[in-house]
Amino acid sequence: MHSTTVILIVEDNPGDVNLLRRALSGVRSVSLFVVNDGAAAIEFLRHEGEYGGAPRPNLLLLDLSLPKMDGHQVLAVVKGDPSLKSIPVVILSGSNAPNDISRAYALNANCYIAKPIDLDDYDRVIKAFEQFWLQIAQLPGSETE
Amino acid sequence: MIDADSRTTFANCKMGEILGRQPDEMLGMHLFEFMDEDGRKIAEDNLERRRQGISEQHEFKFQRKDGAFVWALLGTNPIHDDNGAYCGALAMVTDITERKRTEAALAHYATELEQSNQDLEQFAYVASHDLQEPLRMVASYVQLLARQYQGKLDAEADQYIGYAVDGAKRMQRLIQDLLTLSRISTRPQTMRNIDCETVLAEALKNLQIVIEDSGASLTHAPLPVVYADQGQLVQLFQNLIGNALKFHGDTPPQVHIEAELEPGDGAVEPPHWLFRISDNGIGIDPQYFDRIFEIFQRLHNRDEYSGTGIGLAICRRIVERHGGHIGVISTPGHGATFFFTLPVNVTNALNDCDSDRRG
Repeated sequence: MHSTTVILIVEDNPGDVNLLRRALSGVRSVSLFVVNDGAAAIEFLRHEGEYGGAPRPNLLLLDLSLPKMDGHQVLAVVKGDPSLKSIPVVILSGSNAPNDISRAYALNANCYIAKPIDLDDYDRVIKAFEQFWLQIAQLPGSETE
Repeated sequence: MIDADSRTTFANCKMGEILGRQPDEMLGMHLFEFMDEDGRKIAEDNLERRRQGISEQHEFKFQRKDGAFVWALLGTNPIHDDNGAYCGALAMVTDITERKRTEAALAHYATELEQSNQDLEQFAYVASHDLQEPLRMVASYVQLLARQYQGKLDAEADQYIGYAVDGAKRMQRLIQDLLTLSRISTRPQTMRNIDCETVLAEALKNLQIVIEDSGASLTHAPLPVVYADQGQLVQLFQNLIGNALKFHGDTPPQVHIEAELEPGDGAVEPPHWLFRISDNGIGIDPQYFDRIFEIFQRLHNRDEYSGTGIGLAICRRIVERHGGHIGVISTPGHGATFFFTLPVNVTNALNDCDSDRRG
């Protein structure tokens, strides 16, 4: 029942990574992996280069503004790849621009969350994310389908 | 007057004035001598048609004796002899330099406006992506400091942290409001027939917490269907009602919303809906009636009433983009009534009804 959920966090800002780790620190059976740019995210998912031994994530937490390949591009690659498209992608972005949101959903994002600026709000949102995606929702397994 | 070879046979004083020459010095000069390359090409084509007896008007750039160019409207009427042979033309020249200058200026302003709209869009993009990120970091980590070190440092440190948190939050509200304002100008409007009752309900839903906290009582008369952008209209109602709720005195706010059809004056002003949002709040000094609709104009200290000073600028922009106008009347201490107009768009309203029925 309690197998470990693997989450790949694609986030270039160490401050944000730290906030996420803090907010998720009390959660059991979660294993967090972090990559700092879009190209690395694709390599991780395809077990390429230094990510040869990387596990297949159950969930992708994807920022939009990223170096090399931005979040929308990563999303397009993941959702366009038959072997990767079943992985749920939750966008966690600093932007609440209507364009960014509609583009993300058009590219088949599974959920879009705008990072709240207030720390209390932020913690609440990450808590709700954790409750829904890690406790309520059933996620696809780690095996390649 | 020109002959069959397009040489000047007569020129009046006015003609001389336009071209900066004495009328008699122009005699014998070829029409082309007053033109530049492009003008000559057009004139050559015209000559052929004039021989066929066609009268025409064209805009030409003429060169004056001093080298300067003037724009003129050239109307030529061919003259034929008794045998029907072409023997010249009567050319009427009108100076249109001023009109051309205005046209050029207008085209220039249009380009500038387009550029400034693009800049604004660019700003909106930068603001939503790049400005908010570092700000969110500052806000989050100062709050984290506050959370973890409150009471462990001295009182002064706690106060400094409080100022920093407050500043970051205010900055974020400013960015959000500026973004809203710029999006209203740059995003295309989705115009359709909208029931203002629905708009009001949505605005009130968004204001629910403020309404409950303030113990406000809201009433409204029946509201019409208007042709507008729904999202912008909700924002408009929300900002105006939000203001009415915010600027209340010692008693709980009372807000009334109504609309009536104004027939217009049959000439300058077409028929329109006049909306009024009245409150029993602190009111506004008449000397500020215009100023409050300008961006960043605030009448109150932050401790008294919070805000970025952008809300009413957003309202004005929404109303003006819909072709209406906005204003306020008030007696300080006795509430304020904000009013705005929306045009009654009969044609579009009918079209929309049709497509609704078909759809």
